[in-house]
Amino acid sequence: MRKEIKITAVVVLVALVFSLLLTANVLAQEEDRYGGTLNAAFQMSVAHLDSDNSTDSLITAMMNHVYEGLFEFDENLNLTPHLAESYQVGEDGLVYEVKLRENVKLHNGQTMDADDVIASFRRWLELNNGGQLVAPYFDQVEKIDQFNIRFKFAEAYAPFLNILASPVSNQKFVVRAEEVVDEFGTDVIDRHVGTGPYKYEEWVPDQKLVLTRFEDYTPSSREASFFAGKRTAYLDEIVFNFIPDAQVRVSGVQTGQFHFAEEVPRDQYPLFEANQNIDNVIIYPDRMSMLIYNNAEAPFDNKYARQAIAYALDFEELGYAMIGDPQFWRLESALHEEGNPWHVPDAGEGIYGVYDPEKAKELLDQAGYDGDPIVILSGQDNQMERQGAIAIQDQLEEIGIDVELQLFDRPTVVERRSKKEGWHIHLSPFIKIVPDPQIHQGWTGTNKWISNWDSEESREMDQIFAEMLREVDQEKRYEIMERMQSKLWDSVPYFNILDYSRLHIKRAELKDFKGSWQPFFWNTYLE
Amino acid sequence: MLFLKKYKKYEHPYITTSIIILILLAFLSLFAPVLTDYNPVRNDARNRLQAPSREHLLGTDQFGRDVFTRILYGIRTSMEVGLAVVILTVIFGGVVGIAAGYYPQLDKVVMRILDAMMAFPGIIIAISLAAIWGAGKLNIILALSFAYFPKMARIVRSAVISIKDLDYVDSARAVGAKDSRIIFKYILKNSASPIMVQATFNFALAILDEAALSFLGVGIMPPAPSLGAMVTDARTYMVVAPWLILAPGIMIVLAVLSLNLLGDGLRDLLDPHLKNTLKNREVKK
Repeated sequence: MRKEIKITAVVVLVALVFSLLLTANVLAQEEDRYGGTLNAAFQMSVAHLDSDNSTDSLITAMMNHVYEGLFEFDENLNLTPHLAESYQVGEDGLVYEVKLRENVKLHNGQTMDADDVIASFRRWLELNNGGQLVAPYFDQVEKIDQFNIRFKFAEAYAPFLNILASPVSNQKFVVRAEEVVDEFGTDVIDRHVGTGPYKYEEWVPDQKLVLTRFEDYTPSSREASFFAGKRTAYLDEIVFNFIPDAQVRVSGVQTGQFHFAEEVPRDQYPLFEANQNIDNVIIYPDRMSMLIYNNAEAPFDNKYARQAIAYALDFEELGYAMIGDPQFWRLESALHEEGNPWHVPDAGEGIYGVYDPEKAKELLDQAGYDGDPIVILSGQDNQMERQGAIAIQDQLEEIGIDVELQLFDRPTVVERRSKKEGWHIHLSPFIKIVPDPQIHQGWTGTNKWISNWDSEESREMDQIFAEMLREVDQEKRYEIMERMQSKLWDSVPYFNILDYSRLHIKRAELKDFKGSWQPFFWNTYLE
Repeated sequence: MLFLKKYKKYEHPYITTSIIILILLAFLSLFAPVLTDYNPVRNDARNRLQAPSREHLLGTDQFGRDVFTRILYGIRTSMEVGLAVVILTVIFGGVVGIAAGYYPQLDKVVMRILDAMMAFPGIIIAISLAAIWGAGKLNIILALSFAYFPKMARIVRSAVISIKDLDYVDSARAVGAKDSRIIFKYILKNSASPIMVQATFNFALAILDEAALSFLGVGIMPPAPSLGAMVTDARTYMVVAPWLILAPGIMIVLAVLSLNLLGDGLRDLLDPHLKNTLKNREVKK
């Protein structure tokens, strides 16, 4: 008996020592993560750093480290309170009450409260694209007490919270210090006081932006997931370098000068794969390639002709020609990718991805197509646009459709596609990640958009849109979304050919990096 | 013909080499449909970026098109453009040059206009014209001819000026020959050699500039094959598929080099002054 007790005691003791050691080890590891300067290479330079004043997505991406939103999206594009503690929607979607987290410090040492949020919100409503979408429906914002705010609407506007958290440039609402908002008004802000884990240190135009750790940062208690939840600033300093040339970004990572490079050529993937010091970061799903008809001009003023093209194209072959390596693209008929709450899995069933040239010819006859050349208008600088247009031309000519290819630089393309005649098909890359289906570039609906779609069908689509705007219940909104997708695939004013991704690379010593649609460097560390 | 006699006499190595290469290129482009089973524009993207193999001698490009086939048709495009540009510049340059050289009252005005045109580099003029008229083979030919003809006109003019006061021209005039007869029978015939040399250079330049314009995206419109456009498209794949950029690049070099050598050779052959200096040099050695 005694012996047994002894043995048990020893076992317990050993276990205790081990667990202690382990904890210490984990703590030490956690401690080890701190420190270092991260050098990242981005492809474009920015004009300034005020996200309310620019559509440049890089501003949003960089300043996400400095500013935070009331709400942020997590990995699965679910809305999560961030600077907000909780929220309530009442009275048929006309009132939103938001409770703020208390004791959140701003970079100027003060505590963030309702006044900061309201000042920032008013500026956002007036200046920001997202704010301008909301403004026509909005009534007023009220301070309930120091940490409670009430947003009142004149008309229900269902996408409101999603827009506040939007991951898209020039939409997201971030909280700035009231004093800064008062000082700059609607002018471009160049003094940055936010609540984020990093604070603004230095900006050298066309060269770099330097951020340093904010020691008094108050993290959210929620689980970390992309932009939502707990953010930990392991790095002492983050330097965003602006390097327009892709090959320079690549060699910078190869030599170790940069830890991260944005958008590098996808076709060099095998090279990076073979390099032990470099990790590929495939951002997926990220972009989609839209085929847009000119619905105002024959033959595509007829829906049978529009359907015909969908049957005439071999989408898989297009994937290889436009993008290349199949790990960078996938066929997707819906406007929203798989995993997105708004994804409609059976969109385009029976037409999308059905390669049937005979049917295409029948439909074209039905539409009364007279054999005039089809003009494909596309950009020549973007690989997807240029190679897609060439591949589509080839496929259509193979079934006897005469095609004229017009490849131009972007400004010329934008100018020509805004006209009602002179083009039939246009290819355009779209950003796949959107905060809410109702601020999807492709579904602002109808003749207002470049597709010149103005018919009985387009007006029906407008009604569906208006109905969904009033519906606050997300499940019911999803049902409307399903209806809209099937309508879209019946009338095909435009359609998604496929989704594709960009490729970033990073050094192997940059750990725990999450490949999100906008790169961020909190919760990552250098080994 | 005069230069064939001279050629036999001097056995110029430059000319021999370049003519062999040019005949080879002409053969390749003329018999392209026989030499390859592939269509130069048909896609087969599932087999993209394949390395050179027995089926695809020079591999495939980003659309899965056979690179060897595209090169053959690309040379054809280059040759067509070069030939057309040479013919047009000789006609335009000839007419303007003769007019300026033979009729002194026209000379000042015409030459000043040509001077102004020559102040701009030819490629700049060609780029702007191609940008205004739009891309396409015909527009490229017109743009390049327009850019090259001032120089041709200048060369013709100086040849005409130096010949028109020679004794045999004077005697023809004394006999009462008309201007047209003097120009075609006496002057043009005797100014053939500098025109020929310049024409060869223009041929080479046209091939190079067509490649440059297509490289810049204002030349031959895709999917039609052009060596320059092939080089542009291949830049993206340079690291993973180097044959894509090497093959058309080497072809451009071959074509331009051989034409330049031919031009140099012809000049040595037809220009007695230069030949004498060369001979003297050899003697000094």
